[in-house]
Amino acid sequence: MAEPLTCDVALVGAGPAGMMAALTAADHGLRVTVVDEQRRPGGQIFRQRPPEFPHQPWTPPAGYPWASSLLERAESATDIDWRFQTTALGVVHEERDDGILLATTGPGGSALLRARRLVIATGAFDMPVPVPGWTLPGVMMAGAVQTLLKSQQVLAAERLVLAGSHPLLLLVADQLRSAGADVAEVALARGLPTPREALGSLGAVPGHLSLLGDSARAVARLVAGGVRISPRTVVTAAHGHRHVEAVSLTQVDRQWRGVGQARRVEADALVLGYGFQPSAELARQAGCAMRWDSPAGGWVVAHDDRMATDVPGVYAAGEPVGVSGAEMARSQGRLAGLGVVSDLTGHNVDVELEEADRSARRARRFARVVQRMFAPQREALADLAGSDTVVCRCELVSRGAIEQVLDANPGMSTANAVKLECRSGMGPCQGRYCETTVGTLVAGRTGRPVAQVGHFTAHFPIKPVPLSVLGELDGDVTSGACAHRHHRAEGSQESGE
Amino acid sequence: MSFSFNGQPVAAHAGETLAAALMAHGVEGVSLTRDGEPRQPLCNMGTCFDCAVTVDGRSLVRSCLTPVEDGMEVHSWQNH
Repeated sequence: MAEPLTCDVALVGAGPAGMMAALTAADHGLRVTVVDEQRRPGGQIFRQRPPEFPHQPWTPPAGYPWASSLLERAESATDIDWRFQTTALGVVHEERDDGILLATTGPGGSALLRARRLVIATGAFDMPVPVPGWTLPGVMMAGAVQTLLKSQQVLAAERLVLAGSHPLLLLVADQLRSAGADVAEVALARGLPTPREALGSLGAVPGHLSLLGDSARAVARLVAGGVRISPRTVVTAAHGHRHVEAVSLTQVDRQWRGVGQARRVEADALVLGYGFQPSAELARQAGCAMRWDSPAGGWVVAHDDRMATDVPGVYAAGEPVGVSGAEMARSQGRLAGLGVVSDLTGHNVDVELEEADRSARRARRFARVVQRMFAPQREALADLAGSDTVVCRCELVSRGAIEQVLDANPGMSTANAVKLECRSGMGPCQGRYCETTVGTLVAGRTGRPVAQVGHFTAHFPIKPVPLSVLGELDGDVTSGACAHRHHRAEGSQESGE
Repeated sequence: MSFSFNGQPVAAHAGETLAAALMAHGVEGVSLTRDGEPRQPLCNMGTCFDCAVTVDGRSLVRSCLTPVEDGMEVHSWQNH
């Protein structure tokens, strides 16, 4: 294969980490290509409205006063090759090791980018929590409701119950109410932060307008607006025929285990917000080592202090290395960008690195406090699924079916083995929405820690695409990418079966 | 502008995603499970595929990532 060099650095993801890494590398004269599935830079946290909508000044989420200027810098950086509405399909493994071949598909068709370095800044997604009824229309993730409202101006429902444990849920409830929705109730699995916890988190970043500060203001507005906020409460079911009509809420103890009777609340939507897990399938497919860090979102990409992974030439920054928020993502993007610059150009960037290190350390202190405070109780959450609750939304595999497989195969002790045996994780979402539950269930049944149960293997292509898309790529390339892999079992029919 | 969804016309604004237009229109089954159960967008960020549709013959298109174009022919995508 002799694809010419497309760029010095290919970046996947145009959120705070990806934008920062791209701008840093371009400032040092490197040729940069950025791939992102959205239409404009920002990622999910700074998602912008479509260019066709009537112009309105973009307001950054409180606590991120730097976001607007970062977006402006990114949008005016014409020296960067921005490839929006483009999906990264995976890294093509080759014999040669003088660069990285990244397969993508977008408006112009499929393409192979050859880059000297790759930065993975693919963000995170809302942590899935299967409860009875969670496949009903009307059940949505907090991030979905928020982006629909903020970037598309669509109110997802009229009367909503929000349930989860992440402080974002309070901000979303407040935004929904301001937009005219009837917020029936906000159920939080944990207690409201104690004054000591709140002080601790503020102390972690002196002078920083923290997420908790925003949450406190949101709570005040919600309470003033008559919205019921129920601490130590989880949603145990969504009810309805073809759409959510009501939900069941139950009081829980400190371990999030149900105590007492469920009560029914009428609503036409259930919004789940238990926090986030890294979108790290590209890193996994590229062969990067992962490590288990439950408070940081689960399986995260291992990296060194310049954000380099253990795969030569591949860097990772932002949520894939541990969900830590936009402040941290920005710092890590800067570190990764500088790491690539120093690696490729030999420029002395020590002063800039030191500065980026300092801001990353500051952000990490705050992130760790927030992570610990809002860490999900995974076992209790997995137990919200009943025996016939669908865990794998794509292939319709229930918790009971997974447990039957485990009972019938006492030696089965990995998430991957369960996936191959019962197809959980083999649909179009490729396991993104069942892996964490499968891992927790296997851990519970085998008595092994999730860290040993492992994660699903990610295969090329990391997002399912029609065969014709793969056909547009060089035939040798795709077969090379899939050699000794279970490609044909992966994804939907269209992706290669 | 407008597009068709399972043969019915749906009005939309320029810049809207198919998912947003379908939600605003109150469509129940944006995609269908193999059992024929309706699904609506869950994540709105391209990860869950519950919003998958067929657009002008292209299948497994994520409606949450696809801006509406006038005259598009859109159908629920069904997992098999």
